[in-house]
Order: sequence, then structure tokens, then C-alpha cells
Amino acid sequence: MTEEDTVWLHQAIQKLASRQAKFTDRAFWLALDEVVREQDQRHDQLGGEVDGRTWSPDRW
Amino acid sequence: MNTLVLVSHPQIADSGTQEFLKASLPAENISWEHIESQTVLDVAYEQAQLRQADRIILQFPLYWYAAPAGLKQWEDTVLTRSFVYGDHRYPLAGKELGVVVTTGMPAEAFQRGGAEGLTLDAALAPLAAVAQRAKMTWLPTFAIHQFSYLDEPAKLRLVIAYQRYLTQQQPDSLKNRQAWFSDHLATMIAQLAEQDQSTGRLIEEAFKQKQTDLETLQDTLAMIKEQEDD
Repeated sequence: MTEEDTVWLHQAIQKLASRQAKFTDRAFWLALDEVVREQDQRHDQLGGEVDGRTWSPDRW
Repeated sequence: MNTLVLVSHPQIADSGTQEFLKASLPAENISWEHIESQTVLDVAYEQAQLRQADRIILQFPLYWYAAPAGLKQWEDTVLTRSFVYGDHRYPLAGKELGVVVTTGMPAEAFQRGGAEGLTLDAALAPLAAVAQRAKMTWLPTFAIHQFSYLDEPAKLRLVIAYQRYLTQQQPDSLKNRQAWFSDHLATMIAQLAEQDQSTGRLIEEAFKQKQTDLETLQDTLAMIKEQEDD
């Protein structure tokens, strides 16, 4: 998923959340956005670890 | 999964926190009971409720480092020796027991050297011992500190954190969090206004794609680690 897609995803979730009249519905979409942030962070970390282990000088 | 929420509060009608939590309950597979509202505790009924639940939640305000008297009375009446462990039958074995506790003091107070000088785990030790005796799985406690000081964003976060505590698979890992949201997305999309449903479906698709991407990365990493071990 490109960075552009990720920006769109956050904006779309926030917009949906703001359109919910019911407090608990708004809470759901906002919490989903938090998990998406967590997914992105974990993705970066795992990607970094894969790169790091693949290019370890010890294994050259 | 069926979750039974047993609330103990001597003046529940005056409790904004309990009212908020009741309004936040998940829509399905939840049984909710206020202990002090029962004029006479029907032991057979209460025990049947416990038997049909997969996860049992005890919910109460902390009074002098313990649950209100109503919960102790419920324990002493309903959790009879023969029901919990008599004859080496353990009808509650394998069920999960969780506590939702509200406190008037902040989280920092509940540690050694803090204003209360006692951790919540220490205060709740007798309930954890009951869980152990009944061969139940004790869940990490869900504490709500100083509810009346929470601002709106914090209250919005509390709604879903509470719902997940009641119904999400433990432990509370990213994998289990993703699965919980994944399970709820279809219902939430169906509730959206018609013009928002296509956006809802695109969001679901993108979310699940991220979930799959993460799994792929985890598999790749596991493979690399395995090769390193060789």
C-alpha cells in the first residue's frame, strides 16, 4: 500500500467517524484509525528488521 | 463467545460511570446483571448464568481497596463449595474471569510509594485466588481511573477499549486487535448511511490488505530467523 493510499485511508476513516451521530459508532471508527496507525508502525518496524537481517555484514 | 457482566454498585442509579459503561456494551452475546438489584439471589439461576458464559466480568467501584459488600455477598451465596470445586468437578474451569474496576484516584496512586500504596493486583488478590481455585483464567484487570476527569477523546477510546475487554480474544496483541475489528467491520458498515457504505467497504478492504501485508512480513522474518539458526 502506497503512502498516498495510507493518507487516504486515515482521512476516509476520520471523515466517516465525524459523520456518526451515535457516540459508540464514532468511537468504533476512531479506534479503527488507531489500529491502522499501529499496523503502519509495525509494518515499518518489521520491514526494517527484514532489511537489517538480510544485509547483516556478519553474513557477507 | 458469551460474556456475563456482573455489576456490583450499591447506588447504581447515581453512577455516571456505570451508566456510561452500560451504554457502551457490545450489541451481541452479552448478559448484564446488577447484583444489588436482586432482592433475593436465585442461586440456581446465578450458577446457570455462570455455566453458560465463556468470559465472566466482575465490574465495580473500588471501596476501601475491595469490591462493594454486595459482590462479597454474591460470592458467599452463589459460589458454593460444591459448585466451584466439590467432588472434583470444576464447572467454571477454562472460563475467563476479568475485573472492570473504577477508582476515584489516578493510576499512579496504585503503586508502592503512591498515594494508596497498594497495587490493584494486590487489592484484587482474593478474587484472583477464587479464579485459581475454580481453575479459571484470570485476565489482566481493566481499570478506569477518575472517570469524571476524562475528556471526550478519552471517553471515545474507553468505549472501544471496554468492548474489546468484554469480547476480544486474549491476549490483547495487535493480531487479536486486528481480528476483533475485522469481525466487527461488516456490521458497522451495514449501519452506515447508504451514501457512506461504499467508502466503508473500501476502508475494510484497505484494512484487511494491511493485515495480510503484516502477516506476510512476519512470515518472511520468521523464515530469515530460521535460516540464521541453521
